[in-house]
Amino acid sequence: MTAAATRPGGGGSATDRRPVVLPDRARDNFRLGLSLLFAILLVWSWWSVDLKWSRLLEAPADMWRLARVMARNIELSELGELIGLMWDSISMAWVGTLIGGVFALPLAFLAAENLVGRPVAWVVRQLFNVFRAVPEVILALLFVPVFGLSPMAGVLALGLHSIGSLGKLCFEIIENIQRGPIEAADAVGATRLQRLRWGVIPQVAPELTSFLLYRFEINIRASSVLGIVGAGGIGTKLAESIRFKEFGTAGLALIVVVVGTIAVDTVSGAIRRRIVAGPDRSSDDIDPLDQLSPEARIEAETPGSAS
Amino acid sequence: MTDAAPQISLPTRPKRSIFAICVGIAAVAMTFVCASTVGFSFIEIWENFGRTNPVAQGLLDIRWGEMFSERSRRAFLETLQLAVLGTAGGVTASLPLSLWSTTIGNPHRPSRYVLRVFMNIIRSIPDLLWAGLFVLGVGIGALAGLLALFFFSLAVMSKLIADTLDGIDIGPIEAAHAAGASHTQMLRSAVVPQILPAFASFALYDFELNLRASAVLGLVGAGGIGTRLAFFQNQQRWDQLWGLVVMFFLVVFVVERLSVTLRRRLV
Repeated sequence: MTAAATRPGGGGSATDRRPVVLPDRARDNFRLGLSLLFAILLVWSWWSVDLKWSRLLEAPADMWRLARVMARNIELSELGELIGLMWDSISMAWVGTLIGGVFALPLAFLAAENLVGRPVAWVVRQLFNVFRAVPEVILALLFVPVFGLSPMAGVLALGLHSIGSLGKLCFEIIENIQRGPIEAADAVGATRLQRLRWGVIPQVAPELTSFLLYRFEINIRASSVLGIVGAGGIGTKLAESIRFKEFGTAGLALIVVVVGTIAVDTVSGAIRRRIVAGPDRSSDDIDPLDQLSPEARIEAETPGSAS
Repeated sequence: MTDAAPQISLPTRPKRSIFAICVGIAAVAMTFVCASTVGFSFIEIWENFGRTNPVAQGLLDIRWGEMFSERSRRAFLETLQLAVLGTAGGVTASLPLSLWSTTIGNPHRPSRYVLRVFMNIIRSIPDLLWAGLFVLGVGIGALAGLLALFFFSLAVMSKLIADTLDGIDIGPIEAAHAAGASHTQMLRSAVVPQILPAFASFALYDFELNLRASAVLGLVGAGGIGTRLAFFQNQQRWDQLWGLVVMFFLVVFVVERLSVTLRRRLV
């Protein structure tokens, strides 16, 4: 059987050298079709988009010139003010995340099919989807005329969007819990609330806390640009300096944003890992993101955007 | 022993963790400081939403037809084109870059380290900031938007691919080495095929993100439908703004559903 398996009809030849059998090349019409579709879209975009492609070749030189102009015009006296504004942005992100958490965490329990009925879960999930769909910047755009040029517009924009994205991550974690503790709580006659308190929350608390911090890290990226539509924070200064071509200020603001973001990421990341690992670091390599569905997971890992 | 009630032995309560107490106190302190920094007040929220405001008024007489006006349609097409081109460029560049920033793909430690730092910096810059930067560098227009989406895609894709690369099977790599493959051949035949399905699904996801991002790029002058949004905001034409926002996000929603379905088939 082994010789026959190498190649049908090829076995039994006098030579010792067995012919090499290559596996069939996999063919997949679905993937082929998808690739073709994208190729067509790409060619169409390439030809019809309103830009001179020759300009693309000049872009590196342009950016290099920009970097030099920025470096030359940086005034360190502005550093204090910019750091203060970055702190505004960080504060907006923190309060926005908390608003998101206050609404998303209770709602997430109502979106988990193992705790409530299917219809309820479906409704709450659609609610999350609606909040998730609209970018923070668009929300801020609509809130600024209501609240005036204050950080509150930005905070609420971040908060509303976070309800959707946090809620989605959290209900998946809640759906993955073990039934044991819930059954135990039921067996000793716990009420619905007690069952939640003793059977569910202890299982999910570390993960949910770490997602809250995760969201905070992502919200910092969004909040640092919300000011572009007038919602406060360092983005306002950045937008101004771009509009009036104050290269030095723009350059320094960029550096402050990058350094501030990475610094908060580092601290928050360390706390997150410690929360999930537990006091004795027993579960050191357990990543709460691993418990998510692939779709929710890549969404959770998307680095900052305001959209 | 017979008449005594059975002794219940409760498990000992875990000790209060100092870490948890510290983090809790820090979080509460952070909340107070931050809330006062942004001037958070419930009264303000309540009052502002209670008043009639032009934005809510605009939603009531929303202009559904705005998306089909000549200019908005052209801006929408530009958004679509930018998303396609930005995704194509970013996705293509992200594959070698993320390979070179892992131990498997790049045994040379210093260059790997430099690349990782570079990628971390790229990831800390949000999409609109890229757009602003390129508007300053290459001027207002679609080119700035395209470059912004390129770098944003690079950030998203490299993070996702790096995580996938961490989990690949070492077997094929050893096999390739054993068969005498060069480094490039090994990557081509043992690593890339393993991540290709995930890569394709990330690319689709990246397109979704770029479509959404390219809607806001125009706010800083980097082309696409955001240009129209900024215009309506300046003119305070909230009815038209709402019309555009709602229609655009319906499109985004449809694209997202489609892409989720395709992604499930791919992986």
